[in-house]
Amino acid sequence: MPFLAVTPSAPTISEGVIWAIIICPLAGFALCTLAVLLRSQLQRFAGYLAVATVGAAFVLAMVVLFNVIDAHGGIAVHSHTWYSAGPLKVPLGVRVDGLAAIMLSIVTSVSLLVQVYSLGYMHGDRGYGRYFAYMCLFTTSMLGLVLADNIFMIFIFWELVGLCSYLLIGFWFHRPSAAAAAKKAFVITRLGDLGFMAAIFLIWTRTGELGVAQIQAAATNGAISGTLLTLFALGIFAGAVGKSAQFPLHVWLPDAMEGPTPISALIHAATMVAAGVYLVARFYPVFEASTDAMQVVMWIGAATALIAATIALVQTDIKRVLAYSTISQLGYMVLALGGFGYVAAIFHLFTHAFFKALLFLGSGSVNHSTNTFDMRKMGGLWKRMPITFWTFVIASLSISGIFPLAGFWSKDEVLHAAWDSNHAVWVIGIVVAFMTALYMFRAVFLTFFGEYKGGQAVDHDDPDSHFEGDPAHPHEAPWTMALPLIILAIPAVLAGFANINNTFGDFIIHALPRKFEEDQGVQMMTAVISVVLALLGIAVAYVVYYKKWITSESLHSAFLPFAIVLERKYFLDDLYESLFSKRIFQGGWNRLCDLTDRYVVDGLVNGVGLVTDQLSTRIRVAATGQLQTYGAMFALGVIVVVAIIFAVNPV
Amino acid sequence: MALTVLVFLPAVVAAIILLTPKAYESYARWTALAGAVAVFGLALGIFFSLDLSKGGYQFTVTKDWVDIGSFNLQYHLGVDGISMPLVMLTAVLTVAAVLVSFGIKERQRAYFACLLTLTTSVLGVFCALDTMLFFLFWELELFPMFLLIAVWGSGRREYAATKFIIYTFAGSAFMLVGILILAFNANTFDIAVLQNTTFHDTVLPLRWVFLFLLIGFAVKLPMVPFHTWAPDAYSSAPTAVSVLLAGIFEVMGGYGIIRLCVSILPGVAQDYSIWFAAIGAGGLLYCAFITFRQTDIKKLVAYLSVSQMGLVLLGISALGQTGLVGATYQLVAHGIITAMLFVMVGLLVERTGTKEIAKMGGLARQMPLLACGLGFAGFASLGLPSLAGFIAEFTVFLGSFQRYEWAVLMAIFGAVLSAGYILWMLQRVIFGPIRHDAETDALPDQRHWWEHSAVAGMAAIIILLGVYPALLTDMIGPAVSTIMTRVGS
Repeated sequence: MPFLAVTPSAPTISEGVIWAIIICPLAGFALCTLAVLLRSQLQRFAGYLAVATVGAAFVLAMVVLFNVIDAHGGIAVHSHTWYSAGPLKVPLGVRVDGLAAIMLSIVTSVSLLVQVYSLGYMHGDRGYGRYFAYMCLFTTSMLGLVLADNIFMIFIFWELVGLCSYLLIGFWFHRPSAAAAAKKAFVITRLGDLGFMAAIFLIWTRTGELGVAQIQAAATNGAISGTLLTLFALGIFAGAVGKSAQFPLHVWLPDAMEGPTPISALIHAATMVAAGVYLVARFYPVFEASTDAMQVVMWIGAATALIAATIALVQTDIKRVLAYSTISQLGYMVLALGGFGYVAAIFHLFTHAFFKALLFLGSGSVNHSTNTFDMRKMGGLWKRMPITFWTFVIASLSISGIFPLAGFWSKDEVLHAAWDSNHAVWVIGIVVAFMTALYMFRAVFLTFFGEYKGGQAVDHDDPDSHFEGDPAHPHEAPWTMALPLIILAIPAVLAGFANINNTFGDFIIHALPRKFEEDQGVQMMTAVISVVLALLGIAVAYVVYYKKWITSESLHSAFLPFAIVLERKYFLDDLYESLFSKRIFQGGWNRLCDLTDRYVVDGLVNGVGLVTDQLSTRIRVAATGQLQTYGAMFALGVIVVVAIIFAVNPV
Repeated sequence: MALTVLVFLPAVVAAIILLTPKAYESYARWTALAGAVAVFGLALGIFFSLDLSKGGYQFTVTKDWVDIGSFNLQYHLGVDGISMPLVMLTAVLTVAAVLVSFGIKERQRAYFACLLTLTTSVLGVFCALDTMLFFLFWELELFPMFLLIAVWGSGRREYAATKFIIYTFAGSAFMLVGILILAFNANTFDIAVLQNTTFHDTVLPLRWVFLFLLIGFAVKLPMVPFHTWAPDAYSSAPTAVSVLLAGIFEVMGGYGIIRLCVSILPGVAQDYSIWFAAIGAGGLLYCAFITFRQTDIKKLVAYLSVSQMGLVLLGISALGQTGLVGATYQLVAHGIITAMLFVMVGLLVERTGTKEIAKMGGLARQMPLLACGLGFAGFASLGLPSLAGFIAEFTVFLGSFQRYEWAVLMAIFGAVLSAGYILWMLQRVIFGPIRHDAETDALPDQRHWWEHSAVAGMAAIIILLGVYPALLTDMIGPAVSTIMTRVGS
């Protein structure tokens, strides 16, 4: 491993500018919320306000990015005390380095494009103002998460992005499925957060530190080691498993597709779900110091990539295909992290953000003209929606890893990292690459080729439907939606060149206290095999879903048991919801506690009451109303008490 | 002097209200509001003039009161960094309670008089520095509370009120014995002196004395298994009274434990701290499980409230500075958050005419602002960062983790459960399609300024305490370290 050539310096950017990045969208949130709560007519301008504030954050993020580039990826930390409680001093601070700068640019750029897109997509919705308020809050929280210099603040913003995710998944709250999906997403991610919380308590209790730099240092200089280190790493990783939808907590993400599509692009594809990967990368020295933790990370990632890719093969809803694809690609990133591929993981996060956002926005554009996400009701759209079609195909080629698009470069770095640490994982990665191309082009052929099947008729009685136009005659999206598609197509093609001379890697590597570079770059063998397999996947999709030489029905019946397992999503939802949540938890354990409380604990209280009542009826004879009797009784009582006291303490 | 005025001002206003002729019945609420706002302003003044560099009692007033031979009952008031935030909480919630009661129609004068008498008693409890005075104020609230539930309540109100009163009396009896034993040992009722006295086993072992005191507070807290009066009382009480029960009365229990049990008998507290952790975390989980089974929305919030008071015990259990600051913060945060939750639920019940969750649904469409408030309070209650509850929760966890890892791990599982029951409640109550049942059909989205201002004010305070915790921690910290020097850790 070659030693690093340049020594980075500290970025000179002033602290105010960094805070302003967070504050801009926060101001947007405050104003939008105010307008919504006061039911002001100004709500109509919420969209423009969101675009303006996020746009300002984007500009500032670019300033920071170039400043950090000038500093060769150095680190600047500005920290203050937020509050203290005895020995606990909670810091409030921001940290800028290569990793943060890259994340900043991803978040602000994708967010900005999605806001512009939403101007068109959400036009006419009853909750227009509320939508942009949530979007601004999300952007604020995501930027806070990226800029935080300590684990406490990371957790705060981590939960806030979870809140926004909840609010936006349940945006159309009148749909029971949306309300259920929102709750599911929040509760399941919180399950992972248990580990995150425990990790915070553990690290503070043992080291007294909360700062990112201090924790990283503690891991590299051996101040924390052994079981403690592994537990801390696994705790952090549990949080990442929840947020980044890794097996076995991935079940919330497909349901999250109930939210408006631009949300899925921003939150459930490009940024929030990648936060888990970012989190592990932030504390990477801790993971590197624990072989056990790294093994767990790698295998969870590999399992997730494989499981999700297989389920994606049988989905009929285009957004669900993309959702499972996202899970699978996040699995790739996690797998890379577990295989000592820090740069590979972040690089894949970077390219994936663009092409996956593009895919989601494309599916939204399709929905905008057909009123459905069901691919069985689409077909033949390529002529009527050329911009959507071409950009969607570009993104599909990119995610399939076709040379020389963005996805090719980053995926091959991931597979390279896998090869270096475990050949079995590498095999899984290669298989997933094949499946990725297959399910993506299955979607492309079903959506854009063949006969148009008419979309979903508009229900004009539904007051919540804001569908404009006629599904029978699909049309290209308005420019507010088409423009972001075109802009996103550029990085979907070109982003891969960012690391051609290890430029990207060298930039982000200084965020960690490491002395050496990892073995980056594309490995020839992996590159050739993965591209060949991807092309094979596209060919299979072409044969089955375009030419129909083999029909999908015959494939379905040939592999019937597998197909059922996949369609039922490996029965995980049944296991969690029907068995665990409904029967064991609510119908069993909770019921037991409730009955105990009602009949045993409260029963005892009422029992005492009843007995007293009965007794008092008997004793009523004694209530003569004569003061002497009462006095005698009282004296008797005192004697009894004194007797008891002396019995307990013999003098 | 300032404290005397603060404590008795509500009672004076109550007397004025009672003395006004019946013809002016409708002015009772305005008088009450004026009184509550005055109390709030005064409390605010004291809050900001407290010297944060000192840990001890400030604004003290001492007068000999009743001479009983060897030592005196004193009229002794004062506040420190622990009681001041609670005084502030009481003042805030009094204003809120008066505001949400603006719609009360029957016997307004008596109602508001009861409400303000309660305030005096609670403020007295927080300011009293004499155990006997403390006890008297403690008992003073029982009668108005009984009336408020029994007269203005709903459902099984007599049953609930009687259960409340008997339970609390039973608890108080034990507490009184505890207070008397301490007093006869140290020859004083003065809390400041008692805190600096070292006690030994006498007529009764010290641990019994500790236990007697604790039972009184445990009932009020309410601590599992002494909690079963709470769901009945909360469910039957009128909105403002549920607000005070959950927002202030529970807090009194926690305050009592810190002020008397822990400060006066730190040695026993050390020996029994593991039980605080076990009952705190265990009770938290136990009540959380039960919360899932509730079909009455007020009982659901009641169990939720009991569950979250477990955090106070957990915070105390570690007997460390961080934990105690967290526990005190939790008292304030829990007070205001649960109060807001009860306000929202109360308004919901008023509008829909039912407490049954199964009969609600889709209310976000019909009453968007109410739904928004309920959602906000719900998220505050499940410990969303940037809101008050999170700071309290996390500080408690951080403070207790070193000593009772297992208890904290149990309690954080409660964080998942709270997300579960709150979001499930929201899903059933405000989300989903509008239900066209007889009760909830065509609900008018009523808006009253008094409800709006109460809700907005509480929400603002919850946010303030969530983003600027130093406001309270800088005050609580020095007071806690004074106690800690005695606990010896």
